[in-house]
Amino acid sequence: MKSLDKLFEQQARQLAQRSSRRGMLKTLGGLLVGAGSIPLLPVARAAAAEAPARPVEEGDEANCDYWRYCAIDGFLCSCCGGTKNTCPPGTEMSPVTWIGTCRNPADGRNYVISYNDCCGKSSCGACLCQRDEGDRPPYRPDKTNDINWCLGTSSAAYHCSTAIVVGVAFENK
Amino acid sequence: MKRVLTLWLALLGPLAWGEDINPERALFNYQMSCQGCHTPDGSGANAVPRMRDVVGMFLVTEAGREYLVRVPGSAVSALSDADLAEVLNWIIQEFAGASVTVPFQPYTPQEVGRLRQHPLPEVVQYRAQLLADIASAKQRE
Repeated sequence: MKSLDKLFEQQARQLAQRSSRRGMLKTLGGLLVGAGSIPLLPVARAAAAEAPARPVEEGDEANCDYWRYCAIDGFLCSCCGGTKNTCPPGTEMSPVTWIGTCRNPADGRNYVISYNDCCGKSSCGACLCQRDEGDRPPYRPDKTNDINWCLGTSSAAYHCSTAIVVGVAFENK
Repeated sequence: MKRVLTLWLALLGPLAWGEDINPERALFNYQMSCQGCHTPDGSGANAVPRMRDVVGMFLVTEAGREYLVRVPGSAVSALSDADLAEVLNWIIQEFAGASVTVPFQPYTPQEVGRLRQHPLPEVVQYRAQLLADIASAKQRE
């Protein structure tokens, strides 16, 4: 036991002689600042840019074959005075919506698509598009497109549907 | 020595928390199974309850903690026990904010698997009673 004590004492004294207390602070401070600056390096930014929020897209958004419409059931807002992302004037976008995933043929990745309905006017009637991929019967209400999704709006009248990219699908690697 | 240990725990705490959640997977599962009604930032709409800045209050009582799993949107969702536990922990981390007033023990897949066997058949009344209980529990503090 005594020899152990001695050994540790010796080593502690040696360490104390070789190093300064401020040196410890300097190293720690350097580490903190250094770690903080890693996200500023171009390498980190390049990695973050790999997940594109806005995918490269091909095709005509006023056509039912357009990739984002893979799970839609309704009138395309692109044909009704709006766009794939926006409601026509005079309608209100429902915040409550049904969500699915579609594969983008331009980059081969799957994206999360939110089919927000535009509400407050009677049915648009143009470009009816019913593709229904991943659609489930109404006993899975969160995954069915057969119900009227004008739920969070002041009016429940359905006009047309948008198809907004809200994220990239997570795939187990 | 104790102080050093506390310091280490304080430093490691956030890391350990972060390892439990895969943020990309949790976000994707939230988007696919919750966001349609609860909206992207958890604000809710009309009859859909708000989670942002309020959901943490349920953690005050045991029944409240269990409620977040037994509520139909959780209990009967298509998510696995592990994915549901992760997305619940993610919701608390991302949305609860200052509404968490007690130390939060993250949900485990086992706990979630056990609780979701008992989904709530009637939510509105149950929730109202729960909130009244939580309010009186808070008053006692």
